[in-house]
Amino acid sequence: MDDTTKRYADAGETLRRVTLPNGLRLQIVVKPEYHKTYAVFTTNFGAVDDQVRLQADAQPVVVPAGTAHFLEHKLFDKADYDAFDLFGASGASANAFTSATNTNYLFSTTRNVMKNVEILLDFVQDPYFTDATVAKEQGIIGQEIQMYDDDPNWQAYTSLLADMYPGHPLSQDIAGTVDSISHITPAILRTMHQAFYHPQNMVLTVVGNFDADELIRVVSANQAGKVTAPAPQARITHDDYDVSVVQPYSVKRLDIVRPKGYVGIKGSAPITADRAGLRQELATRLFLELIFGDSGHTYTDWYDQGVIDDTFGYEFNVGRGYNFTVFSGDATDPNRMTNAIMAALRNYRANPDVNVDRLARIIKASLASTLPR
Amino acid sequence: MRTKITDGVYLNVITSNQFKTTRINVQFLAPLRAQQSGRRGLLTSVLETNSAEYPTQDQLAARLEEMYGASFGFGVAREGAVHRMGAAISVLNDQYTDTPLLPAAFAFLRSVLMRPLMQGSVLDPATVQRERDNLLLYLASLKEDRGTQAALALQHGYFDDPVQAAPSFGESADIEGIDAQTLTDVYHDALTHDAIEIIVLGPVTTETVLPLAQQLGFAPRQVALSPGYDQPVHTDVRQFHEHAPVQQAKLNLGYHVESDDCGPRYFAAMVANQLFGGSPLSLLFRNVREQASLAYFASSSLNQRRHFMMVQTGIEAANRAQTEALIAEQLDKVVRGDFPDDLLQTVKDEILNGRESALDSQRFLMNQALTSALQPAAALDLPTFTARVQAVTKADVAAAAATFKLQAVYLLDGEEQ
Repeated sequence: MDDTTKRYADAGETLRRVTLPNGLRLQIVVKPEYHKTYAVFTTNFGAVDDQVRLQADAQPVVVPAGTAHFLEHKLFDKADYDAFDLFGASGASANAFTSATNTNYLFSTTRNVMKNVEILLDFVQDPYFTDATVAKEQGIIGQEIQMYDDDPNWQAYTSLLADMYPGHPLSQDIAGTVDSISHITPAILRTMHQAFYHPQNMVLTVVGNFDADELIRVVSANQAGKVTAPAPQARITHDDYDVSVVQPYSVKRLDIVRPKGYVGIKGSAPITADRAGLRQELATRLFLELIFGDSGHTYTDWYDQGVIDDTFGYEFNVGRGYNFTVFSGDATDPNRMTNAIMAALRNYRANPDVNVDRLARIIKASLASTLPR
Repeated sequence: MRTKITDGVYLNVITSNQFKTTRINVQFLAPLRAQQSGRRGLLTSVLETNSAEYPTQDQLAARLEEMYGASFGFGVAREGAVHRMGAAISVLNDQYTDTPLLPAAFAFLRSVLMRPLMQGSVLDPATVQRERDNLLLYLASLKEDRGTQAALALQHGYFDDPVQAAPSFGESADIEGIDAQTLTDVYHDALTHDAIEIIVLGPVTTETVLPLAQQLGFAPRQVALSPGYDQPVHTDVRQFHEHAPVQQAKLNLGYHVESDDCGPRYFAAMVANQLFGGSPLSLLFRNVREQASLAYFASSSLNQRRHFMMVQTGIEAANRAQTEALIAEQLDKVVRGDFPDDLLQTVKDEILNGRESALDSQRFLMNQALTSALQPAAALDLPTFTARVQAVTKADVAAAAATFKLQAVYLLDGEEQ
């Protein structure tokens, strides 16, 4: 069992990492001055993982859009209990969410930490799917999808992704569509659970007021008592760095009050999952801040001229098989806004805001946002 | 610890070594008045943008960056019948920086609050106009979030008093066409007449903070604030129906709630709400969402200072009648005491877990200081709070729920055919 502890003096935190014999990774940060403990059980499986090869030479299994999210909902429901009830009885507050590349199950509590950790491990690792429970969830998730259909920002964002990544799972809503989820069956959920909810593919992160050694003992004993199937074949990752397939411009008309402009920049090369990749990711974010941050003339001039307003924002996303930047905001003239963004990117070398002193200041300022509270 | 700086101006220092940042919050408190909510909201946007010392947005942002990325914001909120504007800044503690930032943080607040960008004797007209126009656009766009639209509409229909019926950030009519002179009058009025509560949370003491707080330069003032709002219960239920091109209909219900000032009925109502619709274990969540699959969300929220509870749901419009009936059935169950004893204990545990967890939240701790200042009876320590929650019996919950009187129903659904 790998067990390493590292002190990050600059941040005032200590991180302990343990890898169990079955491959499950633990990340532990003890904060004795805090009252609550927060635990997240994450599997490296999300909306982009719509295919898996179960044996080396078999055809890939392809699943409907929304499967990872559906699975997240369904895991709480068991034959004779609901996981929410168990957490409630142990004084914890639980939740879950699905992203493009991972699914997360979490709780926070001020008491019974170890008991709640066991509940978390057990309900996520013990699947139960029936036709009746699947049918019921299709109704609930159908409602969720309709709720997001009414959100113009969500509509714009998903359209932007579809324009950048046609035919790729990123072009689908994480929750799928009412039609796609109607094709989800208990067998599909079982297959994906078995393929991806494997300890080797999962991480348990616990932060708060508890005894780390006790946690490791409890988790080890819990995992040792379970039979784990051998890990299946590697997932099929859809790498998409092809900029030639991008649809450069589209307009969507909705009954809304404020027009909105979105600009997507598709990454044309992978960013590696190592220190060099992290450096590149951070550098990209600093680059965007130099040009578009609110301590620069570009932002202030645009704001004063009504090109943008307070809703203007941007974000750089890196995931398994892709990376992209999104700019977004409300604007009376969204074309003026999106044109200004493209011009600012093309002409950054001539931008007086892009200088060494300002970069140093932005780096200094970013410390506050990266330090945990 | 609460210290008087001068009449109507107080400093509240919460000493804590738990966090990596120190937070300062300057709260301006005034009685809720017609037109003022929107005008004070606009004022906070104007003062947040620039100052005499930092006359452009980028200069103001650059100053915050220099302070190791200090975060700053100025916003409005309502507490019952009190309207508050809160200017908040957060700075890293000394062990993470090479210079102490607390004096700079107070200096920054003095700059934006006491020395705004002026043209002669009025607030900079260009800033006022730009922020006014942006705020009007923002207010008009609120209905793009259908949940927000439905929540605001239900409140608008429920409250008899027009100022309570409006959002805490006001309405377009408050600021349409407003000029710099009028807004400057609002500014002077707040500066001269609002009750001021300065709250500081961090590894600090009153001795170190008091001189800095005094330098903000607030003059003495007399203020009378009454924290609560109540209205009579109507026999009729008001119905509201709006149409918009929506996929998901929103059905919201407003109830009048009886309460006392943090006495036993307050806690009974808190537990009753949690059980009825305030948690994922509640009757609304289990029965309206999980059992009947009628809604993606079905929950209730309680505001005892305003004697008001709101149920919010997102449903298929065709299921409106069924959903309303099911909601009424869940409330009836609580009134009749038709719920398991262990569920009662579970929702109490949830409330207590939440309250204890809140001790890790800087925002909660600072709000507690404000509550303590406005309504001393309401600021309870954890053991007292725990005892009051645990003392609530099934009969208490049923009696509290019996006072939840439906007063208004709002439906937002697709276009009429």
